Amino acid sequence: MSALLQVKDVTAGYGRTTVLRGVSLEAAVGEVVCVLGRNGAGKTTLLRALMGMLSKKGAVRLDGVDISHWKGHRIHRAGMVWVPQEDTVFPGLTVLEHLDITLGGRNIDAGVRVASDLFPPLAERLDQEAQTLSGGERKMLSLAQALIVSPRVVLMDEPTEGVAPVVVQQLIPAIRLLAETAAIVLVEQNLDTALAVGSRAFVLEQGTIVESGDVHGLYESGVLERRLAL
Amino acid sequence: MTPAVAALGFLPTDSFNVVVIGAVFVLISLGLYFTFGLLDVVNLAHGGLILIGAYTALQMEAWTGSVLFGMAAAAITAGLVGVAMERGILRFLYERPLDSLLATFGLAVIIRQVVQLLYSANPRTVPDPIGGSFSFLELNIPWWRLMIVIITALFVVAVLILMERTRFGLRARATVRNPHLAETQGVNIGWYRAAMFAIGASLSGIAGAVLAPINTLNPQFGLLFLVNSFLVVILGGKRSLRGIVVAGLVLGGSLGVLQFIISTVIAQIVVLVLAIAAVRLRPVVERQVGEWRQRRAAAEAA
Repeated sequence: MSALLQVKDVTAGYGRTTVLRGVSLEAAVGEVVCVLGRNGAGKTTLLRALMGMLSKKGAVRLDGVDISHWKGHRIHRAGMVWVPQEDTVFPGLTVLEHLDITLGGRNIDAGVRVASDLFPPLAERLDQEAQTLSGGERKMLSLAQALIVSPRVVLMDEPTEGVAPVVVQQLIPAIRLLAETAAIVLVEQNLDTALAVGSRAFVLEQGTIVESGDVHGLYESGVLERRLAL
Repeated sequence: MTPAVAALGFLPTDSFNVVVIGAVFVLISLGLYFTFGLLDVVNLAHGGLILIGAYTALQMEAWTGSVLFGMAAAAITAGLVGVAMERGILRFLYERPLDSLLATFGLAVIIRQVVQLLYSANPRTVPDPIGGSFSFLELNIPWWRLMIVIITALFVVAVLILMERTRFGLRARATVRNPHLAETQGVNIGWYRAAMFAIGASLSGIAGAVLAPINTLNPQFGLLFLVNSFLVVILGGKRSLRGIVVAGLVLGGSLGVLQFIISTVIAQIVVLVLAIAAVRLRPVVERQVGEWRQRRAAAEAA
């Protein structure tokens, strides 16, 4: 399986503070690559750097094309999308308008149909301002926004964090559905979610990858328990 | 016209001028709605953009004899200057408000000095594009002043449609409300910011050109409108075009009424005091209204 996303020796941070140090990983279509680590390990920073929101050193390749210096909108149009952990909505804009923005004004009806089929609660709230949605519904909207553009790579930042278990049961099939046609990089603190959908895992500590391998193998060998202090 | 107002020296003819001053307040604030209201740039060069519009109208009238043609040229010239300002300087300062304030202050001074260099500090006048007036009921209405009201109304409607009914407006609002999220959803926020600044600058230029025939021009011309336009945008709610229209009409109308009763200088001071008091009290009123609405919604639900 050839890697669609290749990340090599990426170093990034905020201002003069370096957070990531020489991170390398790969993700192929059909894979859910989990990035695990304690708070402050640099997981979200990694996704922000990949999405063009932070300046960085190192190489990021999407299907062989160097996107290291591309801006976020260009990366999105190239098929790599981001599902953020927080700050996921535009205040004052409706659910339908969120979907419209993501689709760039094209194929709105088809996009709405896909989002509604996957997450029926959204179908009832298309004209509702997204900031008034519950936490779980906001996560659904973020995932729907990723799904409707038929992405090639999806960067997910803790999609099940702070969500009721019943909603998690709706989100996990959506992640699996995405993984059928895309490569997924999943940042997750919830080990149950990582084990439910993940294939490989990378463990970050202080901005450096310290472990990698099959997520279930790492769990069963006790590596995750030791590294994540579970 | 109530007898009380008439007794204060306010003539029927004056009431139309009150409407015109209200419209002028709205017109001069439309450009600032984009540059300051939406983009958060404390744009002290707003007066400079109005000045560019006015002098472009003056120059085009000298070249072509047409003030109306000058208005189109004013929109283009001010828009181009706006794009140059945004792309050249301000795009690096969106997260640095004090630096952008200093930069726009410097740009305002540069624009003023360039205008003075090119046209001297001597007062200039732009001829009334239509001229004359007509009578309606008891009112004597100059045609161009009526046109100012109509042009203002047309631009308000156009901006409302642009921002609330078009895909451009949707993406522009997304850019304003959550730029990082917008960028990662495929919106080229750099382009949208530049476009919004250009539109704001163009509107400021048009305001200058439209107001030039009813004013005497000099390099200080734009400064006259700077404080009032900021007051209108702050009082109306930076991102609320409807609020800005209401604030412009109320502030401009108040100034219009007051300056027929007391001196213009005192009237401007009174309006400033009223505006500052309104800005101070607005959060309290908004909270009270919000609580009242919640109580009403709860009562209806029960």
